[in-house]
Amino acid sequence: MPQIHDTNFVFLDTQGKRWPRLRLCILLFGAIFFICSIMFVQSLFVVSKFQLPPSIQLLKERLRVLQKDELQAVKKPAKPVWLEFSRIKHTGRQIMSSPKAQTAVKPQTVPPALPQVSPPALLQPLSTPAKKICLGFYATWDPNSLASLKAHAHQLTHVCPEWLIMEDGTGTILAKPDPTVQGIAKQNGIILLPLLTNILDDVWQPEAVEGVANGPAERRELFIKNLTARLLEAGAGGVLIDWGQVDPTYKNNITQLLQQIATALHAKDMEVWLRIPMGRELMLYDLETLSQDVDHFVAALHDENSDTDPPGPIASQNWFEGWLNTITAYGRPSQWIVELGAYGYDWANGTPRAETVSFADVMTRAGRAGVQTDKVEPPFYNPDFYYSDDGTEHTVWYLDVATFINQLKAARKLDITGVAIYELGAEDPAVWDVVGKEPSEINQELLQKVSSLNSDGVTQVGTGEFLTIEDTRADGFRKVSFDPTGNVVATYEKFPSYLTVSHQGNGKDIDEVALSFDDGPDPEWTPQILDILKTKGVKASFFMVGMQMENNPGLVRRVLQEGHEIGVHTYTHPNLALVSEERIRLELNATQRLLESITGRSTILFRPPYNADSRPTSLDEILPLETVQSMGYVTVTEDVDPEDWAQPGTDEILDRIKMGRQLGGNVILLHDAGGDRAETVAALPKIIDYLNNRGDKIVSLGTLLGEPSDALMPAVRKDQDPLNRIVSDSGFRIFHIVETFLWSFMIVATVLVVLRTIAVLVLALLQQRQSAKTQESQFTPSLSVLIAAYNEEKVIAKTLQSVLNTTYPGTLSLWVVDDGSADETSAVIESFAARDPRVHLIRQSNMGKALALRRGLAEIADDIVVTLDADTQFQPDTLFKLIQPLENPRVAAVSGHAKVGNLRKFIARCQSLEYICGFKLDRQAYYYLNCITVVPGAISALRKSAVIQAGGISTDTLAEDTDLTLSLHRHGFLISYAADALAFTEAPETITALAKQRFRWGFGTIQCLWKHRDMVMNTHFKALGCFSLPGIWFFQVLLVAIAPIIDLLVILSLLFGWSSPALYAYFAVFLLMDILLAAMACLMEREPVRQAWLAVPMRFVYRPMLSWVIWKSLFKAAKGVLVGWGKLERTASVKDRTGISS
Amino acid sequence: MKILSANRTVFALFLLLGLALPLGATDLPVAGQTAGPAQKLIFPEKGAYTGAYVDFGDGEDNITLEALEKFEKMVGKHQAIIAFGNFWGEQAFPKKNVMIVTHYGATPLIFWSPWDKPYSEGLLPDRFNLYNILSGAWDAYIDKWAEDARDCGKPLLVAWGIEMNGTWFPWSGYYYGGGQKDLLNPPNDPLGPKIYKEAYRYVVNRVRAKGVKNIQWVFHVNNQSYPPEGTWNRYASYYPGADYVDVLALSVYGKISKYMGWGSFSDVFRLAYEELRKVAPNKPLIVAEWGIGEYPQDGNKAEWIKNAFQDFQERFPQVKAAVFWHERWQNKDESYSNLRVNSSPEALSAYREGVSNPRWLSLPQYQPEK
Repeated sequence: MPQIHDTNFVFLDTQGKRWPRLRLCILLFGAIFFICSIMFVQSLFVVSKFQLPPSIQLLKERLRVLQKDELQAVKKPAKPVWLEFSRIKHTGRQIMSSPKAQTAVKPQTVPPALPQVSPPALLQPLSTPAKKICLGFYATWDPNSLASLKAHAHQLTHVCPEWLIMEDGTGTILAKPDPTVQGIAKQNGIILLPLLTNILDDVWQPEAVEGVANGPAERRELFIKNLTARLLEAGAGGVLIDWGQVDPTYKNNITQLLQQIATALHAKDMEVWLRIPMGRELMLYDLETLSQDVDHFVAALHDENSDTDPPGPIASQNWFEGWLNTITAYGRPSQWIVELGAYGYDWANGTPRAETVSFADVMTRAGRAGVQTDKVEPPFYNPDFYYSDDGTEHTVWYLDVATFINQLKAARKLDITGVAIYELGAEDPAVWDVVGKEPSEINQELLQKVSSLNSDGVTQVGTGEFLTIEDTRADGFRKVSFDPTGNVVATYEKFPSYLTVSHQGNGKDIDEVALSFDDGPDPEWTPQILDILKTKGVKASFFMVGMQMENNPGLVRRVLQEGHEIGVHTYTHPNLALVSEERIRLELNATQRLLESITGRSTILFRPPYNADSRPTSLDEILPLETVQSMGYVTVTEDVDPEDWAQPGTDEILDRIKMGRQLGGNVILLHDAGGDRAETVAALPKIIDYLNNRGDKIVSLGTLLGEPSDALMPAVRKDQDPLNRIVSDSGFRIFHIVETFLWSFMIVATVLVVLRTIAVLVLALLQQRQSAKTQESQFTPSLSVLIAAYNEEKVIAKTLQSVLNTTYPGTLSLWVVDDGSADETSAVIESFAARDPRVHLIRQSNMGKALALRRGLAEIADDIVVTLDADTQFQPDTLFKLIQPLENPRVAAVSGHAKVGNLRKFIARCQSLEYICGFKLDRQAYYYLNCITVVPGAISALRKSAVIQAGGISTDTLAEDTDLTLSLHRHGFLISYAADALAFTEAPETITALAKQRFRWGFGTIQCLWKHRDMVMNTHFKALGCFSLPGIWFFQVLLVAIAPIIDLLVILSLLFGWSSPALYAYFAVFLLMDILLAAMACLMEREPVRQAWLAVPMRFVYRPMLSWVIWKSLFKAAKGVLVGWGKLERTASVKDRTGISS
Repeated sequence: MKILSANRTVFALFLLLGLALPLGATDLPVAGQTAGPAQKLIFPEKGAYTGAYVDFGDGEDNITLEALEKFEKMVGKHQAIIAFGNFWGEQAFPKKNVMIVTHYGATPLIFWSPWDKPYSEGLLPDRFNLYNILSGAWDAYIDKWAEDARDCGKPLLVAWGIEMNGTWFPWSGYYYGGGQKDLLNPPNDPLGPKIYKEAYRYVVNRVRAKGVKNIQWVFHVNNQSYPPEGTWNRYASYYPGADYVDVLALSVYGKISKYMGWGSFSDVFRLAYEELRKVAPNKPLIVAEWGIGEYPQDGNKAEWIKNAFQDFQERFPQVKAAVFWHERWQNKDESYSNLRVNSSPEALSAYREGVSNPRWLSLPQYQPEK
């Protein structure tokens, strides 16, 4: 590299001390920053060591098996109720009062063709035989029901969802069809039989049926019309009627109503099925008469002891057979469907109602309580066990595959083949192996098959919204065999262990209710909510999002100060079912660290975003909770969700809470952020008043769990990793400051860019109009053309030729300084000089461009000197046009219009667009305000006297042209621009070459800016000081340097799906401005506008390169070393534009 | 995001301003909640309070706000009086029920019954029998109950030992000697009513001794006396005295079991009203329970209700309140007695129609206790 020993070279550190010192500082700072970063990141991954409060217990600790004698525990009525309903006298069929005796009676011993009293119509089946019917009762509210329906759709012929409700006695029907079930039914050819009930919000409404049955004829007709319409809408094959608590006094009217319904539905090819309860309620139905109208009777052969009764078997074999034999004596066997129970009841001592539990739930309770064995055996043939949960005694009775087989066999003995399963989702999965089987197929092999108990599925134990997950999945085993009577008995030897969700913290009494707010804190809504809570004296819980906490640390502190609880709701609110386990850990740790650094307290409360449902059933929802739990958190769900985020209206929010509260929910979910929460704020006082008025106690989550707040939100121990804490603390603060700065910067930058774009456009247009007005001048002084050449043998000939081809009328001499080229440059020039006397060669050893120019300038006698680069070609009229402004003696320098001559490569085309913008717009605009910052060496005309006055060509910087221009400004000269003086220059064609060139320019520009820093914002220099120089600082240095950081943010946010509209807006505005400017420039240049689109790829290739160059320049500047020419490898690709070929 | 928040604040302010007005306007004045001297219910010169016992599902002493609101919505009128039972077997003042009823905006009418579990009619006197009460066995409970009643500070109507002129409750005079003469105490009052009166006064005195001023005592009889023979079982025999009674009250039902005959409201009410009126002509008189079952074969419930409202207005304008018994229960023969106001759509509309008359007052009025 040629060395110019000029101690004035800007940024040069002659003593070489700056860099070692700087390097030391950078190294030290870097090392500290690096260590801190590592500690910060590490602190995000450190799992907090939380002590779970004692009230959170493993099921194994909570549940204890109890020994009790079931025979003593179960009270049996003196006389079986079914005997009251025997139909012996009508059919002559012998009904055995003792089921044991009945089992001895073989089906064929029943006289097949006893002369019936039945009317002849009975001999003709009203509908297809019930032979293959398999009906599933579908529970709308239970996700397990849907899973079971999907899994066994191919085994079902009918499905009965709870869709139609008679709410009052006026004949109206509340219909809630579910498209999912409709779809499954249609796809699998299952007939839909919606359930028509009179149960509303869990309460029987007998008046709803009685009102229609006893009412005037018009009301009945209206009701039947409604029913028919609803069924047709739902695409149903009929209806299954299930009426409860209707007064049997109205038997006749009920019979008539059912007959009318049957007539109407049969006319529409739909069937009427009637669900028959076992018990005295049977009195309501005149089975004898109805058997002629109703297509099928569904015998609800379970609930021997219902959920409101004291504990007892759900369908003991005696009871089952007793009722079965009694009722099927009415009508035809084919008319009957046996509805087999497939569920369990868990009676907790002291609660009015048993909990309905699935088979898997039962297995979990037995397994976790430590039940050793459980048996299906005489006399009840129903399994049961006893356990205690946290001191409360529980009794569980349930039905399984053994009870199912026994009951199925009993039905087949009576030639009844239609089966209904009550209800889908709660059943022992093994019943599906049995359900379609003929009695002969029920053999040892089948029993073997159903003896294994797999652990697929999810079970729930306990009540309350504090969830812990227990995942010790293991299959179980039971022995299933025939006993001497031919019934099936079973012994559970190992209970299967499922993925289990354990619920706790339901509060001490039913009046306790907790309010919780998710997604905050929000600067607008959270304070309003806190004010209301304060006024009402209510403590609540806030599940906060880290991002929101970071922006509103004051609110986090306030929430805690006012006595509320804080839980973690993740950092960025992702759906945990869709993210990785590492992400979950990071989300929680980051939020926890932030909470700790803001409040000095930790929290063990966690609520998952999106899935805060009380009873998670899918693995997607549960497995993240397991991860969270392993980190020491307790998941808190909700069971009253008014969906306030959807803004359903203030009253609707209140109504939904009322409904949820009546159904026993006690953790209410509301939102204090994430949108317009005005409705939530407006509803909150009403919600609190309502809860108070109904006698509820609004308590904290801690109270529900029976734990003090300190247990849920322990203070951060001071002695615990203090350094770690300081780092994470200041880390968050720095992170926050940087983030705030970037946001502000983006906003300011966006505004400035827009303003600048407008200013440049307006000024450029003004200048163009002004130039058009100026008169043609005829300034033809004698002039010299000066070229500095260094290794230019490939291009110099063309360049010289283009100058010599000029049409300039005045005297012209051409001076070429060969700056010690190692190639044949001098030879080429000499050959020209030999031919043309106007050509002069000056040779010097390599000293750099500036000194070459200085040398040339010294040799030239003319006052008007035109400089051009060795790779640049003029047009014949360029010289003339270029020097015209110099006619004005105040003008010291004129810039020509450089264009890219080699358009072969993409990189070059980009530069072409850049040149067009730079010359056509920026320079025009600057010219209008006389604040051109650079007269480019590639094409400029100088007044030698002025140059000398301004100090000559300086070697202080790499950008001697910029330096000179600024010096001329300093001396009060005008700088002009000749837009029509064109020169074609050769642009670098590789990104490396371009980067090299731009580095030279960039470094030189920074040097000049630094050297002339006194001019910036100096009003003496008017537009130059206040507009163009600050513009360079901001738009060409600062913005270019920072842009890639913001680009990175945009890319990250796209990758991670963070929604940051402002970021996109910023990005879009910048790109739009680029395109707009490019398009305008092309228009003014009369170039094809479509190339303006190049601005888009340039944004992604060019900008990062420029940014790299700027950083490199800044770095070199700091380092203080000398920088050489960074010379472009010439390719001689600029086409000859002279028009006169050499 | 941040650029927008200024606009949002302005928007929220407008919203708040918009909401503030209706919020203020819809705030129901909660009656009887002002602090200061104890208050009592004023019985109106004209018209009558409308009230109800609402079928709460589980027992007579379990009130829910939702049930009250649902009932109000159903009949289209707010209730000035809400009745409920409070049994000695619970051993506690019904704080929560009183709170719910007063927050709802009604005056509680408490049937304070010395009754033990299982609270089934037709059982013999239990551990809360009148002798035990008089012997002081339950003093501590009464005192605690009185203190809680006083501290709740709400105006209360309390009917102790209701329908004592029947046989279905264990505190009836029938179980304490009935019409036997008390030979020790001339002028030889019938023994049953005498013991009842003593117990009544004993309880009231004990409560008053705790400085309770917010209770108006209700003397509550059944329209029909059982056994009906003789004079010993008349209302007057049980009347504990003007100092112990602030309000007279009657239970009066139409047909509520299939074994009863059908009779109109005035059929079952007129004589009882006249008899009770005579017992204390200057005390306000209310119907503490009235109702009718749904028996379409025997009579028209809607008609019955319509006529009852007409009778209240035209024949018995001095009845100051009527508490409708809204309940349905199952009988031993599996049939139901459906006294609910909505036992049929016709019955419900008859009630709605009747109670919509402005003479039926839906908000209780109070004045400070002198």
